[in-house]
Amino acid sequence: MARTKLYTGIYVALFVIATMQVGIEQIGLLEESYVLALALITAFSVIKAVIVAGYFQHLVWEPRSLTYVMMLGFVGFLALTVAASYSIQ
Amino acid sequence: MTDETQPRTDGGTATALPGDSHDDGSHLPPRWSIKRWLITTNHKDVGILYIVTAMFFLVFGGMLALLIRAQMWAPRAPGEGILSAMAYNQAVSLHGLIMVFWFLSPIATGFGNYIVPLQIGAEDLAFPRLNALSYWLYLASGLMVFASFFQGSTFAGGWTLYAPLNIPAFMPSIGATTTVFAIVTFCASVTVGGVNFITTIHRMRAPGLTMRSLPLFTWSWLLTVWMMLLAFAALLAACMILLSDRLLGTTYFAMTTDGGSVLWTHLFWFFGHPEVYIVFFPALGAMAEIFQTFSGNRIVGRKWFIVSMVLVALQSFIVWMHHMFLTSINLEVKTLFMATTIGISLPFDLMVFALIYTLIKGRIRWDTPMLYAFGALVLFIVGGITGVFLGAVVLDYEFRGTYWVVAHFHYVMVSGATALIGALFYWFPKITGKTYNEFLGKVSFAVFFTGFNLLYFPMFLAWGTPRRVFAYRPEYLVWHRIASVGAVILGISFLLIIYNLTKSLISGDDAAANPWPYSTTAEWAVSSPPPLENFPGTPSYASGALEFLGSDDDGSGAAAATDGGHATEHEEVHVDHASVWPFVTGVFSFVTVIGLSGLQVGSYPAGLEGLFYQATSVVGVVGLISAISAMGYENFTAHEGGFGETWPFGGVENTKMGMWVFLASDVVLFGAFIGASIFLRVAYGWTNWHPVPHNPIPGLVNTYLLLSSSFSVILALVAAKKHSRKGIVASLVITFVLGLGFLVNKGIEWLELFHEGVWLDSGVRASTYFLTTGLHMGHVIAGLLITAYLIWRAWNGAYSEGSGETLEYFGLYWHFVDIVWLFLFPLFYIV
Repeated sequence: MARTKLYTGIYVALFVIATMQVGIEQIGLLEESYVLALALITAFSVIKAVIVAGYFQHLVWEPRSLTYVMMLGFVGFLALTVAASYSIQ
Repeated sequence: MTDETQPRTDGGTATALPGDSHDDGSHLPPRWSIKRWLITTNHKDVGILYIVTAMFFLVFGGMLALLIRAQMWAPRAPGEGILSAMAYNQAVSLHGLIMVFWFLSPIATGFGNYIVPLQIGAEDLAFPRLNALSYWLYLASGLMVFASFFQGSTFAGGWTLYAPLNIPAFMPSIGATTTVFAIVTFCASVTVGGVNFITTIHRMRAPGLTMRSLPLFTWSWLLTVWMMLLAFAALLAACMILLSDRLLGTTYFAMTTDGGSVLWTHLFWFFGHPEVYIVFFPALGAMAEIFQTFSGNRIVGRKWFIVSMVLVALQSFIVWMHHMFLTSINLEVKTLFMATTIGISLPFDLMVFALIYTLIKGRIRWDTPMLYAFGALVLFIVGGITGVFLGAVVLDYEFRGTYWVVAHFHYVMVSGATALIGALFYWFPKITGKTYNEFLGKVSFAVFFTGFNLLYFPMFLAWGTPRRVFAYRPEYLVWHRIASVGAVILGISFLLIIYNLTKSLISGDDAAANPWPYSTTAEWAVSSPPPLENFPGTPSYASGALEFLGSDDDGSGAAAATDGGHATEHEEVHVDHASVWPFVTGVFSFVTVIGLSGLQVGSYPAGLEGLFYQATSVVGVVGLISAISAMGYENFTAHEGGFGETWPFGGVENTKMGMWVFLASDVVLFGAFIGASIFLRVAYGWTNWHPVPHNPIPGLVNTYLLLSSSFSVILALVAAKKHSRKGIVASLVITFVLGLGFLVNKGIEWLELFHEGVWLDSGVRASTYFLTTGLHMGHVIAGLLITAYLIWRAWNGAYSEGSGETLEYFGLYWHFVDIVWLFLFPLFYIV
């Protein structure tokens, strides 16, 4: 039962963070300080993804090796995207 | 040295040799029956299917190579020689594609299928039907390539499919589209296979068989499938985007798109360089096994050999830009990738020296497998050294696009093929139960090695010849003539090999269980060929030696589990070895692709031709969905893992692990799509690029919907643990409704954009938005189909008695779809 409360709390938190992302755009932070706004919005997305993976997908209770498997794919994505984008700077 | 009569395994000594057992079981028709080969899911049968099919494609690719060499007999102008200019382009392109995708990787997959379960003490792969599906998708993809020749023309832009040559403006034929579809289907086959092998090797090893004591071929294959899983996901993304450009009219690779052609090279080579090792690693593993057996000596520096393979597998993903030194990427990144390229040669040096020193320390027996394996090492050294030139930026400026590259990569890739031919001779007695003709084997090697070097070495000397064209300077004539003669000799050697093996299969002497003194792996501890269930008991290395434990003392718990179908009783082990649905799925995959290939930039051709393609599409899609559904509903029991060594995935059931591994590849797939969008935005000018939807609020609503649906899936799992049927059904229905709401909301948003005149082809911003979110919608639709199935099953009482594993596994997928949206939403709606 405690898990159900935890899941509910996480669900509410995810809702709030998603709203905050749009809030950043609505208050005009993107126009005022684009880089800061971009960093905040990206950070919020990462936080949400980590929470969903950790608790809804139960990664925090699974062997750590499963997390590493997913990280392998994510690092591959980062390597491709960052290096490719840098290559045309 | 070991006692020649006592086979030692890499993980210990085989102390029990079973009697001959050729029980084909009651589940399968006999081997001579065609029906058996259509329905089998047994790993050994599937391995044989892979090897035979791959040899067939070797002949096909080889015939194209002979056509190329015939055209190169003399410098030609267009219209001269036996091939027209366009026919030559097709031959060059398809020779490369077929050899890389439909021969080299699949023949290794055949050995992986046959040998790896035997080496690790497993009775089959974790998901036997998926294994059969992997094969049938492979065959279907190969037949698509055949078909492409008869659809105007096949792909004619080189095996690298460079942009913008690959788009309809320059390559309009339907056959070219079919070729790209074939690669996509092959990627699907590889992904399915990769998930299967990774789960099997990590979860189904015999007790006592730790990762450190895994045989080297299994190690090499494990690393190969990990690389395949991640690298082919990038190729899949690249080809899906290309198909979108060709079928739907998106503009990723259009000439007017900033960075479009460079984007293709990034995506392709992010796959392409690991592919070199994907092709070579199984050959390396086979080479190591053969060297050990025929030198009677354990490989020198075994631990470091394995560490080196792991390093190469990781490093293979950070060297891809050395294939792009002649593109517009900046000098800093070229320099960086020159350094990483030099870095990857270091572990290879260590492995080569380990192999050489193993031979120096041992007493070599020059049987046919050893001749091929040793020849492969010599050829690989030449290929490796000549590749160093291409890793250096300045030298690469000179050599890129010349026959130096052609010679270099044939010395590397065909050296891998050489080792795999050695593997074919090495494992032939095990697979067929027959011995081959040793004299003819040695003759074939002599002819092969002579033909190989006559063919490829002159290409170094004629290096100034430009790749992919049949015109060259007259002073290179002699070298090209020698190469063409070498090609014929090499072709003859393959005929000798095929004759030898076919004749031996029909009338060769029976082979012993272990025909090779000093062989060190578990497959030699069972009869030739092995029985259907592989072992006479449960294999175990727990005592330090390979033993076969009886049913009373195996401690396995007689574990069996379903292979994605619904659960059956576990009290008695009764595993299945036959299912027709993988074959049917393969057939309808082929039909679907042939139908969809007719679609060009959003429309079918006019008249009867268009009608044919439309009807074929409909039949194919309906058949495909039906076949997959039937496979999902079929009762099928497979061996479960977890009875032996499972590090580092102990406590994770096979299906759950398979799902996670699949999701890792999906991360790369989506990552490549998102990365492509980011890359094109950088090329376009980051801040000049504005989101296509005018308003982020519909996107926010969709975020709420998906988050809520994730929550309701969690509630379904909670209800399952409470054994509440109503709770499960209600939660799943809510999930379905929320997912449907997501699609409706998205549909409204798209319709509004279409109404405003914004289409997939309205520039690269619209293309990336529609395609990336469209891929996500595809995942949502797939999830909803599964949800509907789960609701039906839950309504009939499923999931409320157990602990809800099926719901959990579905949840992993659904939450992943949610996570992807959490990144797509800000990227395409806010920033």
